[in-house]
Amino acid sequence: MTIKYKTIKEIKSMISQNEISNIEIVQEVYKLIDENKHLNAFITLNEENSLKKAEVLDKSSSNLPLAGIPIAQKDLFCTKGIRTTCASNILNNFIPPYSATVIENLEKAGCISIGKTNMDEFAMGSSNETSFFGNVQNPWGQKLVPGGSSGGSASAIAAGIVPAASGTDTGGSIRQPASLCGISGLKPTYGRISRWGMIAFASSLDQAGPMARTAEDCAIMLNEMCSHDEKDTTSLNDKIPNFEDNLNNSLNGKKIGIVKDLDLSSLDNDVVAVYENSLKEFVSMGAELININLPNLSLSVPTYYVVAPAECSSNLSRFDGVKFGRRSENPKDLEELYIQTRSEGFGDEVKRRILIGSYVLSAGYYDAYYKKAQQVRRLIKNDFDSAFKNVDVIMTPTTRGPAFEMGSKGSDPIQMYLEDLFTISANLAGLPAMSIPNGNIDNKPIGLQIIGDFLNESTILNFAHMYQKVTNWHNYTPEGVRQ
Amino acid sequence: MDKKTVTTISYLSRLKIDGEKEEKIIKDLDNIIEFVDQLDDVDTSNIEPLTNPLEKTAKTRTDEVTAKNLKNELLEIAPSSNEDYFLVPRVVE
Repeated sequence: MTIKYKTIKEIKSMISQNEISNIEIVQEVYKLIDENKHLNAFITLNEENSLKKAEVLDKSSSNLPLAGIPIAQKDLFCTKGIRTTCASNILNNFIPPYSATVIENLEKAGCISIGKTNMDEFAMGSSNETSFFGNVQNPWGQKLVPGGSSGGSASAIAAGIVPAASGTDTGGSIRQPASLCGISGLKPTYGRISRWGMIAFASSLDQAGPMARTAEDCAIMLNEMCSHDEKDTTSLNDKIPNFEDNLNNSLNGKKIGIVKDLDLSSLDNDVVAVYENSLKEFVSMGAELININLPNLSLSVPTYYVVAPAECSSNLSRFDGVKFGRRSENPKDLEELYIQTRSEGFGDEVKRRILIGSYVLSAGYYDAYYKKAQQVRRLIKNDFDSAFKNVDVIMTPTTRGPAFEMGSKGSDPIQMYLEDLFTISANLAGLPAMSIPNGNIDNKPIGLQIIGDFLNESTILNFAHMYQKVTNWHNYTPEGVRQ
Repeated sequence: MDKKTVTTISYLSRLKIDGEKEEKIIKDLDNIIEFVDQLDDVDTSNIEPLTNPLEKTAKTRTDEVTAKNLKNELLEIAPSSNEDYFLVPRVVE
């Protein structure tokens, strides 16, 4: 028996039927990691602890919801006793004395944290090319990027190494790599999952979420990831539903918002065709397409590139070489210690964003940039509020195209920023949104984005699951359609 | 965006820009600022800024000590420390 390309649900059944032991699962995962070393999907492995936990699980028969499920954790979550780098040189040697709440939640549910996945440095990037630990490769093609920033998590799932992984999404960092690697990934409502122990990038946008092969597995993961956490003041104290309950609800009469203002003319015909085909699929299940207006949608990327760098410049001021992380050698005074540590420790993209943040927050520019962007942010949110009065979900392509080649975006950062054109608005408005595979272009997967109303992950998952019941795109792997 | 502005914001950010990279950084920042300048054209009069999608004020909780004292664990992971303090180069002569 193999767990390669299997889902959480399938592995759970294999364990309960005694078809495979927990130890065999963990051993196979590390064998798969070894065979896929070229993907560079992991930064740090947790082999010894994982084998120990599997051994304990084999001796007891646990009924925990994720018992024995191997899960890869994005290296942005603090993990007690396990190196946590955020793919940055400045945290190269950082071993946190505590774990993030979301890691604790997943481990309490019985999962085995296999290792820490590679990512763009501090989650700033859309191709995994900004990692201090090198590019991650997309298993769909040697030169292809996996997307970013949760590129290692997406690549590990797409290669069939693990059934699921944790990710984080500030402007599309779960959904864009999910689209480019042919897997499912959900960014929940802002506040649904505790941010405690997640290394902060842009605090009003950051949200953790599940990445897996199927929508159903995302629901299983999300059930365990959510909790109200007093340690995060933005953690919501609303009722957390069982996200598996509504997966099979009929879509008959449900309303899908189609954004009239969305300019699809810049996309390849193939991308538009894939998108339109999946809309037809939903219509054949009884859903109705409704035209909606999001007039300020095109402003989401420029708004984001003021708000996110501003928050990043503030959050990343804590990396000063004094209390943790890497410190430069032999500084002559305290000032030089800060400057040298930060200049040696951060990569170019992180520096660029800190500089932009310092600029838009500096005296004389604050109102013109930061305040202005926050006002436009409200306009974007108001657009969504109006739209959701008439529809259950909104659908767009997740990305402008399938995976691109490493280095192909050139040296102009704005070309990379536009990768997140369709995903960023959900972060600005705090809304849940998901990407599911909905087609292949030249043997490269691509995704459909489903945006839901505030706290309405269940509806998104319902649409996604019903789509996966009648289509096969989520079963495509780089080695063919999985059985 | 000019050399002087970049020098100021890099100091505010406590970052040193390598001479050879300076020109490229000025150009990148200039392009990014030009790109976000399109926000200028939007009429935002009487629009309240949205700082956080939840728009809730910080919650209060019962005044009970819940945090554990992690002094030793935290000092241990510092680049330089003694029994009680983080150590940095001498500040006062």
